[in-house]
Amino acid sequence: MNAKELCEGSRANYANFITWVALDRSNLSAGRQLSVNYFIVAVILFFAQLLFGMIAATQFIFPNFLYDWLDFSVNRMVHINAMIVWMLYGFIGCVYWLLEEESGTDIVGLKLGKLAFWVLTGAVTIVVLVYLLIQTGAGKDSSLWLINEGREYIEAPRWADIGIVIVMLIFFYNVVATFSKGKWSGIAGVLTLDLVALAGLYVAGMFYMTNITHEQFWWWWVIHLWVEATWEVLVGVIMAWSLMKLLGVRRQIVTTWLYIEVALMFGSGILGLGHHYFWIGTPEYWLTIGGFFSALEPIPLVAMVVHAMYDAGSHSFKNSNHPAVAWIIAQAFGNFFGAGVWGFMHTLPQINMFTHGTQWSASHGHLAFFGAYATINIAFFYLAIQHWRGDVWMNSDTANAWRWKWALGLLNAGVVGMTVALLIAGYEQSFIERAVEGSTWGGYFSAQNHPSFQSAMVWRWFFGLMTFSGLILLIWDLLTIGKGETRKAQEIVEH
Amino acid sequence: MIEPVALKDFFITFFSAALIIMAGASYALLFAWSKVNTNPRIKIAAYFSYLVLLVAVVLLTKAANFSGYWLTLSGVMVVGYFFAPIGIWYLCVKTHAVSDTQQATLEDK
Amino acid sequence: MNETPLWASESFWKKTAIWVTAGSFLILVVLTFDSLSQTQAGGKRVPAYSVINKKIDYVYQKDLHKSMPVIGETELLFGKEYTEAEAEQLVMLGKKTTQAKNCMNCHTLLGNGAYYAPDLTKAYLDKGWVNKEMREDMMIKFLMDPEKNARTFGSNRKMPNLDITEQEAKGVVAFLKWMSSIDTNGFPYNFKTINAED
Ligand code: HEM
Ligand code: HEM
Ligand SMILES: [Fe+2]
Repeated sequence: MNAKELCEGSRANYANFITWVALDRSNLSAGRQLSVNYFIVAVILFFAQLLFGMIAATQFIFPNFLYDWLDFSVNRMVHINAMIVWMLYGFIGCVYWLLEEESGTDIVGLKLGKLAFWVLTGAVTIVVLVYLLIQTGAGKDSSLWLINEGREYIEAPRWADIGIVIVMLIFFYNVVATFSKGKWSGIAGVLTLDLVALAGLYVAGMFYMTNITHEQFWWWWVIHLWVEATWEVLVGVIMAWSLMKLLGVRRQIVTTWLYIEVALMFGSGILGLGHHYFWIGTPEYWLTIGGFFSALEPIPLVAMVVHAMYDAGSHSFKNSNHPAVAWIIAQAFGNFFGAGVWGFMHTLPQINMFTHGTQWSASHGHLAFFGAYATINIAFFYLAIQHWRGDVWMNSDTANAWRWKWALGLLNAGVVGMTVALLIAGYEQSFIERAVEGSTWGGYFSAQNHPSFQSAMVWRWFFGLMTFSGLILLIWDLLTIGKGETRKAQEIVEH
Repeated sequence: MIEPVALKDFFITFFSAALIIMAGASYALLFAWSKVNTNPRIKIAAYFSYLVLLVAVVLLTKAANFSGYWLTLSGVMVVGYFFAPIGIWYLCVKTHAVSDTQQATLEDK
Repeated sequence: MNETPLWASESFWKKTAIWVTAGSFLILVVLTFDSLSQTQAGGKRVPAYSVINKKIDYVYQKDLHKSMPVIGETELLFGKEYTEAEAEQLVMLGKKTTQAKNCMNCHTLLGNGAYYAPDLTKAYLDKGWVNKEMREDMMIKFLMDPEKNARTFGSNRKMPNLDITEQEAKGVVAFLKWMSSIDTNGFPYNFKTINAED
């Protein structure tokens, strides 16, 4: 088969695929068409995330798997970078989705927004290809500018950082200009300020520093103040808006609760940053500040759970999109357990001294990122597909509802299973490597070679596979749910 | 200054820390529930959750070798986790207040 | 009960949110300035780069419940005394190499990174380098060809060959030596250095 045939063959396949999914873009406003572009890329990157996670997890069991070809460092980098980027894509998609309805007008600067989408997607593709094909460079600036910055989560080379900032500015322009042309609201205000903070923090991670204490100081500004402050609030905004639409909660209530959340979240999360400044060379007062403020961090999460139950209860759980609401409930619990419970378990310096930098962090990281941020994005994917299908009926009795239910079950059970396996591994590691053997290299490897660690890695692999199959089912469901559905979505009255 | 957890206290540290947050949440939820359902057992369960929380705070305080100003953290948890759920409940009610009356008028019609 | 009290009103929480956020952020900014100045290379917590000319060790202090760094007499690296500027150059090369080679996605540095390979925070002082006479040579050889000089400690996990040049390897060793002198508030707990007797 020659290249031309291959090309035509794939074009035909693509055409068949499009006919099969039978999605009609004219069901969506222009702004929402841009929004679903972001969702599509998000789902593809989610798939890539789990694929490379599986490879990395395999290497824990069979270290020679793909050795020298796709090393652990490469796979892990793609795993966590794909995660950060797909979640950001999802969030941007959510914002474009609610922008027109919330402002009451058409998007301003849509053309530019579309261009930004393609530029960003092109840049992401190039970055990933360079990660996979070039992988590492020499120890000089040009490597950091062109290949990889070598800093966990924000590895993207500097040229891409700058590109990302430019795209963010365009996105930001779309948001602000649209609200200014239409109308502002409490939700719009919080959203705008939060986006300023989110983008501004990214810039804090764009500088090279030889002094590793300073470098990690700023690195944590990005990572921590993203996931424990600005991202939480962004999710709060998205959640507030969805609760209004899905359950019919009154605007004044969701706005008030959004402010409550901002106060509690920023009040605990900003100085909670201290829990990353225990051991990187920074002064001792961070032990106290980090310990105290991160002990407060679970409170907003508890408040959100109680309030979510209250809202859902007072609306008798009546809603127009069952899969989305199921994922929103998963978010409330996932955020509470992953961030609140798992976070607090290892956050006091007295114990973090031993858990720091072990599989403990990975256990917490998986449950928290999935529970807090994967869930809400998935909820929104369902919301989007419902409208893309023409605002159709999407309750528990839709055709093939088993798919979304099983996808929900497999994904959640898989991540919880991985979390528990990693918890066992982390416990053993903090015990043997850190406490008993005083963190020498020998101690590290005795912990890694321990049977309980090894079997935990096998369990993680199997639960990873469960997660991965959940995702495949989820993608299948997103492509087919509501297809051929003729009933209109259930009406929700605001009260 | 901190005194790191002793090896033998690892488990109790993780366990009591998790218990504080979970008992706190369960107290909060049960407290809210006891307000909408008059069954006295719910209220008892709510206060029982808080009792569990208290015990967990004591265990954590010991296991994590809190002394000096670290003890105020224990105090903050004991007091804060008692009142926060009550506050959250009243916030839920009061922020929804208007909508409840609106609903009542709707139902009257 | 249709009156919303002040403390449950939208405007009250809006103001609270603004003040709490601004207040926390302001405190963070102040602390950031303080922390950055206390951790300037050459200060008490983060030694000058020329510390690579010195002996670095840790002693456990019972009353403080932690190990404290002790910077000792001269103990040259690669048999050469570096000026402050030369030392900084070398450490910088090492730091850039660790970033360009993506060390952090297998190892942890100061406890942050990935968990597939051992922590590098005090790796320069690790007993795994047998003794101080062999250490430098072993480290350079290992970095330049980790596959042949694999030290897997029975785990089968081998570091891949990252095409590190000799100069880069020297930089990395200097960087590791400098990093091992940072006062990390006692992390990792009860770490026994290559100098300690068993
Ligand atoms: C949704 C919110 C959260 C997410 C997504 C999240 C995620 C993460 C991740 C991925 C790490 C590992 C970072 C690394 O690679 O080194 C981490 C570390 C940590 N997190 Fe969270 N986290 C969240 C909330 C919290 C909360 C609320 C607490 C405290 C109550 C907390 C406490 C910690 C601590 C202490 C560490 C440091 C672990 C270490 O010493 O290695 N996190 N978090
Ligand atoms: C197929 C399922 C998955 C597998 C097999 C997997 C595997 C892995 C592996 C092997 C690592 C490296 C840990 C190390 O350095 O030792 C990792 C890190 C990480 N993964 Fe996953 N993962 C999966 C799914 C997920 C999901 C669903 C999320 C979140 C939405 C996630 C978030 C993370 C994060 C945040 C880290 C960095 C943790 C840290 O540095 O502490 N992973 N994963
Ligand atoms: Fe954090």
